[in-house]
Amino acid sequence: MANDTNDTRTVLGRGTRVRGRITGGQDLEIHGHVEGEISASGEVSIESTGTVSSSIAAHSIVVRGAVRGDLTAEDSVHLEDGARVVGDVRAPRIAIAQGALVKGYVQTGEASAQRPAAARKAVAAAPAVRAAPVAVARPVVATPPRKVEKPVAAPPPPPVKRPVVTLAGAKAAPSPVVPALKKGAKGALAKKRG
Amino acid sequence: MAGTVIGAGITIEGEVISDEEVVVQGTIRGKLQAKEGVTVEAGAVVEADIHGGPMVVAGWVTGNIVSSDRVDLQSGARVVGNVKASRITIADGAQFKGNVDMDV
Repeated sequence: MANDTNDTRTVLGRGTRVRGRITGGQDLEIHGHVEGEISASGEVSIESTGTVSSSIAAHSIVVRGAVRGDLTAEDSVHLEDGARVVGDVRAPRIAIAQGALVKGYVQTGEASAQRPAAARKAVAAAPAVRAAPVAVARPVVATPPRKVEKPVAAPPPPPVKRPVVTLAGAKAAPSPVVPALKKGAKGALAKKRG
Repeated sequence: MAGTVIGAGITIEGEVISDEEVVVQGTIRGKLQAKEGVTVEAGAVVEADIHGGPMVVAGWVTGNIVSSDRVDLQSGARVVGNVKASRITIADGAQFKGNVDMDV
């Protein structure tokens, strides 16, 4: 608070309430109340007087206050003494200190970080390959237990390849067949005539 | 010291309501309401109505400004909207388009 001259720092004071979405590429220090999504590429810290009632996505998250919503970090989530979190917590590294309260699903490790990345890639790739997701969805229904892992794994490529192969085969097959028949027919006719 | 600082890289879409002084260096779209002073620094963009105490504007504001005290539009400021305050200064070099209401 004392060195607020630092340009790369955003502070929401204790008496401040934000209703709406906060986005940006900076560190965010919350002493007040936020009702709305937060997504930042820096560190988001919810201080002891701070409350956030929606999901937070950031490079790293430190909680000393209250959060009702999911916490997703690319690097780490630290729940310090006094933190109260109701919601899912996902990050490669998660620290929950003594005195922190958590109610929700907690997942650490690389997979958690890769999952959103894979999902984003799938979404990005979706417009280019529209046939693939449909093909994927059908087998997905048949195997319910793997639902969570589907986006992580690489199921899109096989379905993509299948239609490609079949299409290529279908297109390729007729063209050689026709000349082959013509050649054979010509040869047969020539022999018969000869 | 300022209680709330919206840094240069931050965008808030929605309402900001504060009992404290607010300094805006980033972007706010929606509504800004403070009981204390509001400072819109150079480079900041506020597309919102602003209510508050003494105000200093050096950035871009699109929206109406209502102050319980005074409004200073500094050089480099660009304001499109109406300004209501008991005292107003517009510095040389400030761009302003709108009505001024000084409670005369």
